[in-house]
Amino acid sequence: MTNIRKWISTASVALAITSLQGEQLDLEKDELKFGFIKLTDCAPIVIAKEKGFFEEEGLQVEVIAQPNWKQLLDNVINGELDGAHMLSGQPIAATIGFGTKAHIVTAYTLDLNGNGITVSNAIWEQMQENDPALDTDTPPHPITADALAPIVEEKLEEGSKLQMGMVFPVSTHNYEIRYWLAAAGIHPGFYTSEDKKGFTNAQVELSVTPPPQMPATLESGNISGYCVGEPWNQQAVAKGIGVPVTTNYDIWKNNPEKVFGVSAKWAEENPNTHIAVVKALIRAGKWLDESDDDGVLVNREEAVRILSQPNYVGADFDVIKNSMTGYFYFQKTDKREMPDFNVFFKYHSTYPWYSDGVWFLTQMRRWGQITEAKPAEWYDEIAKEVYLPEVYLEAAKHLLEEGHIEETDIPWDTDGYKPATDEFIDGILYDPKDPIGYLNSHEIGNKD
Amino acid sequence: MAYLEMDNVSIGFGPPSNRTEVLKDINLSVEENEFVAVIGFSGSGKSTLMSLLSGLQRPDKGEVRLHGSIVENPGPSLGIMFQNYSLLPWLTVFGNIELAVRQVFPGFTKAQVKEHVERYVEMVSLTPALEKNPHELSGGMRQRVSLARTLAMQPEVLLLDEPLSALDALTRAVLQDEIIRIWEEDKRTVVMITNDVDEATLMADRIVPLTLGPEATLAEPFPVTMERPRDRANLNKNPDFMKLKNSVTRFMVGMNKDAKDLKVDSSIKMPDIIPYDFTPPKRASVKVR
Amino acid sequence: MAESTKDKIKYRILKALDVSGFTAFDPVIRLIFGEEPQKQFAAIVKYLVIPTIFVLSCIWLWSWFGPRHKTKSGEVPTPDIVWESVKINDTIADREKVKKSDFLLSGSEREAALEEVVRDYAILTEQVDAAKALVAEKETEKANRVARLIAPLDEKYESLKDEYKETAKARDAEIARISKEVSEGKTEAAVLIAAIRNDSVATDLERAELSVIKTQIDEIRSQKYKPLDQARKEYDSVADKQFFMKTRLEFLDDRNLYVKLDEAQSELKEYMTELSTAGSAKDALKIAKRAVRAEESAARLEGQEYASAVTIYHQTKRSIFTVFVGFFMAAFVAIPVGIMCGLNKIFMACMTPIISIFKPVSPVVWLLIFQIVVGAFFPDPENHALLNFLNNLPLVSSLEINPALIFSACTVAMCAVWPALVNTALGVASIDQDHVNVARVLRLGFWSRLFKIVIPSALPLVFAGLRISLGVGWMVLIAAEALSSSDGLGKFVWDEYQNGSSLTFANIIMVCFVVGIIGFFLDRMMIILQRFVSFDGGGTSV
Repeated sequence: MTNIRKWISTASVALAITSLQGEQLDLEKDELKFGFIKLTDCAPIVIAKEKGFFEEEGLQVEVIAQPNWKQLLDNVINGELDGAHMLSGQPIAATIGFGTKAHIVTAYTLDLNGNGITVSNAIWEQMQENDPALDTDTPPHPITADALAPIVEEKLEEGSKLQMGMVFPVSTHNYEIRYWLAAAGIHPGFYTSEDKKGFTNAQVELSVTPPPQMPATLESGNISGYCVGEPWNQQAVAKGIGVPVTTNYDIWKNNPEKVFGVSAKWAEENPNTHIAVVKALIRAGKWLDESDDDGVLVNREEAVRILSQPNYVGADFDVIKNSMTGYFYFQKTDKREMPDFNVFFKYHSTYPWYSDGVWFLTQMRRWGQITEAKPAEWYDEIAKEVYLPEVYLEAAKHLLEEGHIEETDIPWDTDGYKPATDEFIDGILYDPKDPIGYLNSHEIGNKD
Repeated sequence: MAYLEMDNVSIGFGPPSNRTEVLKDINLSVEENEFVAVIGFSGSGKSTLMSLLSGLQRPDKGEVRLHGSIVENPGPSLGIMFQNYSLLPWLTVFGNIELAVRQVFPGFTKAQVKEHVERYVEMVSLTPALEKNPHELSGGMRQRVSLARTLAMQPEVLLLDEPLSALDALTRAVLQDEIIRIWEEDKRTVVMITNDVDEATLMADRIVPLTLGPEATLAEPFPVTMERPRDRANLNKNPDFMKLKNSVTRFMVGMNKDAKDLKVDSSIKMPDIIPYDFTPPKRASVKVR
Repeated sequence: MAESTKDKIKYRILKALDVSGFTAFDPVIRLIFGEEPQKQFAAIVKYLVIPTIFVLSCIWLWSWFGPRHKTKSGEVPTPDIVWESVKINDTIADREKVKKSDFLLSGSEREAALEEVVRDYAILTEQVDAAKALVAEKETEKANRVARLIAPLDEKYESLKDEYKETAKARDAEIARISKEVSEGKTEAAVLIAAIRNDSVATDLERAELSVIKTQIDEIRSQKYKPLDQARKEYDSVADKQFFMKTRLEFLDDRNLYVKLDEAQSELKEYMTELSTAGSAKDALKIAKRAVRAEESAARLEGQEYASAVTIYHQTKRSIFTVFVGFFMAAFVAIPVGIMCGLNKIFMACMTPIISIFKPVSPVVWLLIFQIVVGAFFPDPENHALLNFLNNLPLVSSLEINPALIFSACTVAMCAVWPALVNTALGVASIDQDHVNVARVLRLGFWSRLFKIVIPSALPLVFAGLRISLGVGWMVLIAAEALSSSDGLGKFVWDEYQNGSSLTFANIIMVCFVVGIIGFFLDRMMIILQRFVSFDGGGTSV
């Protein structure tokens, strides 16, 4: 008991000191509304609110669940929301005018990884037949779509196409499941100027299903598999509806997932507020990834407790806990350690990398959402229109002064491009400075 | 020139190809302060006649005149008391009468209106029911409210459309007396429609039979010459009363029979001979169509 | 004399029951006043006891069928689970209240509360540790039990698998042999085909047998182990409490309004003293700027309120408010238009196509249209004059009126307008000819005819229409809120559906009852109003 009291008093003293050192920004607006979708990767926003990081910046924030990605984006555009938890592809697509056209920007990447591809039990059994190596309780990873290819062909011979679900046309999930399928030679279909569903030439048809409906849609047999964020893969395991075959960590190691998006107009009108928000988010991200000397994530259980409140993610504590605390259940018997399944701060992940934007642009081009060939400079220009590292760095500078982060937490001197990497499921090299070359190195997809 | 006149009035309905004349060639003149009872079978167009008199309906042919000028619209000077009371159910007894009084006497102060209404309610002995709603009242009481409302407008002519038809015999007698009393107190011209010969004989100065419709018209009137006040209790002993009553009844019944005969033409054609009659005719000839 | 006052009270109560449509309780009141007990008992049995038994048996049926009817996505929650979810929602609301009061506590009260919470937190932490240990223990217990049960099956599975692998190999060898013979022309091709066919049949059979065993294993694994569930539940509940205490700690300490205010003020004072000793003009300017900022932030703090999470009570209040906004909008349009329709045949002819075409349109469609239409009126919702005005009204301000509420209300109005409009038109058109004659005889002018004759006579039908409208509006609202994510019961349902937690369906069923009960009271309210305007003294259908 005395321990706790001591803890409290030291905490308040520390707080008093830090707030003395830092001065509050001159906020243009202090009552804010942020939208989110019920997925665990909204955590930094929720944590920044619940742990009082927003408050410390002088912000009164309301965090409101949105019914779907489209409405979330519309609400940001029409000013009902000040900012939101967004798919990485959303600010880019909105800025280039695929779907709703509006200039959306981001100064903060919320997390890395965190998605999975789940197939139905029936498909999993067939995959096991096709590849006996999968027929154990703990099959070797990564699992490619090679075992799925014969099933797709069989279906095509019967005159039908395998149906799978993803959450939004410009979502990371769409690109990831396409990447996974295409890596095994399965064509997931092109978008064209007429075909906005992306079914052209498809061997597997991917349709949009809102995340929370995924397990039920899978169970009803309308789709045979899906790619979605958490907790909807763990939910499938918990309820015995399907088997997650792979995570996006295996498809592209440490891939960017969600961003915090605001409209360009809002960012222009509220520069200081924007910095204050990013400050709170950085602190939330750091809090989420805090670990002890053994690498155990110390704050995650509390985060799960918060996220499982009905006004946030709302799923059962145990289900959210499965993926958030460094593990992932592939089957009930197959619990694996995945410390990087959700990355909220490590690896300089929260920095708004131009290279991330370029990757999404290449995927939009690869699958025909961008209908015509563009020069390499265009990719760079768009990425620089959408990503605002200057806001991020400004926020980080304040935090460093206030002592909330360390020098090494932030990539101070980067040009915004990560080095080229080949940590993809098919081993193809991605050099963000050469988007055209990257596009042309793929077998399936548009080439320029 | 008579006070209230109907001059060759006809009315009908339906398209010209299939027209039904309800009333045809009605001629009636009522003198000032006269009490006229129009008697007829139900369905013979009595209420239509009343509507014409009050101006609620315009005749197709002919004219209705009130002291010389044509009646074009209904108005408070022709105070009609409807057969089915026509009280406004959302207003109390007081409210119903008040509405009429305020409309007819726009110059009245609030107190005057109140006093006026109360006087007429008192006249029909309904003071205890002043604040009641119509649905809380019996048929007779509603009838009386309706009467009070009509009287409160102080119309020049009182048009009573079967005012007592819906009542039981006892209430009816009470109200008959009341109407006569009020009429005598406050002499006005009254046209009353009824299907009750006793009532007509008891109350009216003149009884005008309405022939059977369609194309109903007024027959020759029966004057009632009995002295007033007429004593209800002794009327049945009064030979004049009995005679008049019998002749009106006979006339009405005969008319009905004729009408029936006309409708079902199963009669045997009689030889066209007239037996010699030695007795002189008692009355003016009765027209039967 | 006493008798008569008693009677008066009795009849007043009976009348109230009659007006509000609770005539079923009539015999109870009569019994209390000692009126013909036998007759009343019979009536109570007939109209109260039997229906109660019926309802109870429905609940029993529900609790019996619930757990027997399930998909993998969830099972039908039983009444007790629904009741539990009611309690949980109440707890959530309660905790919000506590947090809010913690946030606003100051001085010695705050210190006292803090001390108490610290104590509770320590106790709870111990309990949590104990519960955690228990869960771990039960988990190993379950794992052992499952392992024990599965071991023989697993063994069988593995041995069968090996066996089948062998037989499959043998068959393959056989087929290879035959095919070689066929190629050499020693055997007929039909034999080879038969062999291949046999092989695939045998493979299928073996696979089926294996999968039977696997299913058994899966079943054993997914069996619930009650003590573990119990322990988990116990752990969950204490951990939840512990977490709440931790949050309280924060709100009583560094996130408390007055603590923060004190800090801000001391900071300001610090700057002031610094300012008086500032060395250079540049320094002075810098510090003065800081002081102004600190002043501003202190001022901002003073206006800070606790941002409460949305509770079921708030959602319910907001839904009721929204339905009334929509309903009054509908009435505001329906009554004048209906009156005009009833008065004027040409106007009626003009309106008929509009009414007939738009009446059957689904609320969902209206919502999507209003989202655009209403949205266009509020290009900048934060600074819109109307919204600011509404949000500064007393009572209403706590409901946070936003465009989403307004277009939900518009959707409600759009769907609720038709019954009221049609009924008003009917009421006006079907006015008694006698009443019209009265108006003519009295030579009433247009307005007094309208207000003294036409409207009063149409009023009962108007209210009958309004009653239907309110019912329709309430029904539509839930869908509109769910779709527009305007806070309210509809959004609660939608959020719950999206949560996909173990209490999702229980919460949805809870809302079912909340919506039903509120709908019932709204309807009763309208019945009472309808009674007051109906002049014939007749009953209104319930």
